[in-house]
Amino acid sequence: MIKNYFKIAWRNIWKRKGFSAINIGGLAVGMASALLVLLWVQNEISYDRFHENGDSIYRMYNRDNFNGEPWAWGTTPKILGKTLNQDYPEVENVARISSEEFWLGVGNKKFKAEGYITDTGFLKMFSFPLLKGNISTVLNEPSGIVITENLALKLFGAEEAIGKNITVDQSDVFKVTGVLTDLPNNTQFDFDYLLPWSYMKTRGWDDSYWGNNSVETYVQLNNVASQASFDKRVQNINIDHTKDSGNPSSTEVFSWPLYKLHLYSKSENGQLVDGRIVTVRLFTVVGILILLIACINFMNLSTAQSEKRAREVGIRKVAGAPKRNLIFQFLGESTMIAFVAGVLGLILVQLSLHPFNTLVNKELYIDYSSIQFWLTFLGFMLFTGILAGSYPAFFLSSFKPIKVLKGTMNSSTSILTPRKVLVVLQFSFAIILIICTIIINRQINYAQQRDMGYNKNNLIYTFLEGDIRENYELIKQELLSSGAATAVTKTLSPVTQRYSDSWGFTWKGSTEEDKMLDFIIMSADADFANVMGVELVEGRDINIHDFPSDSTAVLLNETAVDRMRLEDPIGTVITQGDQNKTVVGVIKDFIIESPYDPIEPMMINGPSSWFGVLHIKLNPGNTIAEDLALAKGIFKKYNPEFPFEYHFVDEAYAKKFESVQQTASLAALFAALTVFISCLGLFGLATYIARNRIKEIGIRKVMGAGTLGIVTLLSRNFLKLVLVAFCIASPIAWYAMEKWLQSYSYSIGVEWWVFLAVGFLVILIAMLTVSFQAIKAAIANPVKSLRTE
Amino acid sequence: MIKITELEKYYRTEEVQTIALNKLSFEVKQGEFVAVMGPSGCGKSTLLNILGLLDDPDGGSFIFNGIEVAGFNERKRANLRKHNIGFVFQSFNLIDELTVFENVELPLIYTGVRPADRKARVHEVLEKMQIMHRRKHFPQQLSGGQQQRVAVARAVVNNPKLILADEPTGNLDSSNGNEVMDLLTELNEAGTTIIMVTHSEHDAKFSHRIIRMLDGEKVTENILVNA
Repeated sequence: MIKNYFKIAWRNIWKRKGFSAINIGGLAVGMASALLVLLWVQNEISYDRFHENGDSIYRMYNRDNFNGEPWAWGTTPKILGKTLNQDYPEVENVARISSEEFWLGVGNKKFKAEGYITDTGFLKMFSFPLLKGNISTVLNEPSGIVITENLALKLFGAEEAIGKNITVDQSDVFKVTGVLTDLPNNTQFDFDYLLPWSYMKTRGWDDSYWGNNSVETYVQLNNVASQASFDKRVQNINIDHTKDSGNPSSTEVFSWPLYKLHLYSKSENGQLVDGRIVTVRLFTVVGILILLIACINFMNLSTAQSEKRAREVGIRKVAGAPKRNLIFQFLGESTMIAFVAGVLGLILVQLSLHPFNTLVNKELYIDYSSIQFWLTFLGFMLFTGILAGSYPAFFLSSFKPIKVLKGTMNSSTSILTPRKVLVVLQFSFAIILIICTIIINRQINYAQQRDMGYNKNNLIYTFLEGDIRENYELIKQELLSSGAATAVTKTLSPVTQRYSDSWGFTWKGSTEEDKMLDFIIMSADADFANVMGVELVEGRDINIHDFPSDSTAVLLNETAVDRMRLEDPIGTVITQGDQNKTVVGVIKDFIIESPYDPIEPMMINGPSSWFGVLHIKLNPGNTIAEDLALAKGIFKKYNPEFPFEYHFVDEAYAKKFESVQQTASLAALFAALTVFISCLGLFGLATYIARNRIKEIGIRKVMGAGTLGIVTLLSRNFLKLVLVAFCIASPIAWYAMEKWLQSYSYSIGVEWWVFLAVGFLVILIAMLTVSFQAIKAAIANPVKSLRTE
Repeated sequence: MIKITELEKYYRTEEVQTIALNKLSFEVKQGEFVAVMGPSGCGKSTLLNILGLLDDPDGGSFIFNGIEVAGFNERKRANLRKHNIGFVFQSFNLIDELTVFENVELPLIYTGVRPADRKARVHEVLEKMQIMHRRKHFPQQLSGGQQQRVAVARAVVNNPKLILADEPTGNLDSSNGNEVMDLLTELNEAGTTIIMVTHSEHDAKFSHRIIRMLDGEKVTENILVNA
């Protein structure tokens, strides 16, 4: 019997090649999209799930109130890990991580790579398997370095890496004690090498200060300890250790499970809720919807062709086929089509994986050797087949044999046929996705056009590495005198990044509450406003050369002045602990962090503070290439050991939009796919209906109907459906976008014209799709169509 | 074999109720060949559908082989139908996507006959209908007469006790029509009961008895002497 079903299914596919192509093609595109989303989601939810001890690993978090709001963050004092290891028996392993980017050198090879300075517990706790070396000893040696396979290949080629020396940061020599397998694509950890914690001491970076939150701390609890009891015990660890000091802390500590880190990391009211999981959920829904839309095509085309299959159903019923046999037959048929489409879809996925990876910035791949993959894929095709075939199967199998055999079955003309509902559903999804895409893009544009408060043109930065620090004045002079630059300044961080923030400041007239006012910290030696092109509103710029006392000078931004309620800010003395700073100038607000957020108070400290970055305003009189060539020569002269590595500020600023841009690109991709699949279905349906009404069209033409009249007649019903879809989709899209925009404090509103434009666009697309068939039917010779009847 | 008593069937639309069968009663004995005649709309086809267990009467009694079947549900009707009744339609109703062999094989599949037995049985019937050489062809590749012979083959392949024929020669020319009528007569002579709806007085003459209907009622019943 099954052979019989196969035969008839295959012959039907072959006989109606056009419909089959639309059916299989649409389903294949839908399945490919769903597979891509599935791959992406699978990757997202599998983050750091591979660690054998994963269930007992936690990252330590802080919680405190800032500007009146509780806030949770994941950098901790270095002393926290040490204390947990010593005083808390339930803690089995501790790993502190200080992320660094060092120059690594072997012979003439020299390049920058990211690595961690970490405790010996790191490799015991996490499952990053060693290819070579002993887990319990590799990080014990103060001059030992553990590198990844990939880095080993880059540094040593095919040679054995163990025992070889690597120069770290120009002068410190480490010996390779272990080689790790490369990190999988589903871990939040990102490093090429591990250095022992003792290196922190060597560099003088280790400290026991409970107020310096600069490293990540991970703990592994033993089998008996519960997270709840551990959290209770550590909650006040910071408060207890600082209560007798001059600077008591109010920061609470809590732990957060490793497997939740990737998806739930957004602090809201001091709790870690949401985060990436929102995007994951969103795209899961989108993936399901696209598959559903493709299945709807299948349902629509199958039921539209029902009259052709009706007779077969009648005959089979007369021959004694029970209903369940027919259901089974049609489900089998749809599953067969889903399998063909699935294989095509898989080929499409393989072809589009590379561009998709670029789009989502991941390294997704299909593990063809995995049985689990094939089982999932098989299940996926079966599911699609049954989903797509379910409605047609029940619809077709319920035909009454006498009616279909006598030809008295009429196609339904009722207002709410399931086929119409399906088309409406399909177009509703498409319209929602298009509206969302447009609004997300407009939001990005809006933020991109926001006045950033500084001039990013011709502005570059480089890190103070090697000899740059000690030769800074010489370099600066030569950059200016050579004409490569018009202004140069040293700062704490790039102008596009917040490296540090601080609180606990007092000033004349400040209250106890003001101590919790958090400032973004920046630093500059001189010429800050000039280099950045930031407007000076009051006072003057910091300038250590003209004003030797400027080492403790401070610039404030307007928001800081406002929040500090300073009426005459210049000359105000700001105190933190035993340090005093004097305000010498006020600058206009500029964006250092998210272009979507309101500006926060900022303090730019004078030369007594630490510097890490050099900003150079290139000379606009030359070409950028000329300026850079000049600069390169100067850096080579004063810092010969290091290549001149620079970053353009405008590029760094553009990076702030990357993540949302990614969402926008994905939304656009999915919207396009949805429209494509929906139109494919609409085209098939229109073809079918035009063919079915061929006699009616013939009669109408004989009676004098014009081409336009016929086209209108055939298109009208489809347009009505699209209009209904528009009415359903608009409020849903409006609600979703309103909610999405609420997460940005600097955002556009939901604009009505977007809806109107999308409405017109979709109607136009639907019109074009339908009218092709309608015109074809309308210009056909009526004599021919009537004769064939 | 068949006994219907005061059989009723109505068709309803929103506003109108049409009586298709109005308290119709008659009996058909095993081995009979009965023709049902009457103008279009008199209820012939409705009667045939009810007799074929494709439709349910609205009132009255229908005894098939000694069992009251009026009120049977679809599953029970299908079960009784596939073992006892074969159909021949005016428009042949062959499945275009199946070959001659596969079309004839269909009823055997649904009665659960094993593949080897199916093949033997289908070949036997095709031989008898003299279309064995056409077994691999699709319906569109055959003439009308050949198609109807395939349909008859399909109707008899299960050895049904009853064959219901709905204007079996309606779409055929006279020589093809006569061939089909000869086939039916042969089957009847071999013991199969046949009830045939027809407009053709010529065809009706092949039967033993003619029931004439008008407006859902039996008008006359002639027993043909020469039959």
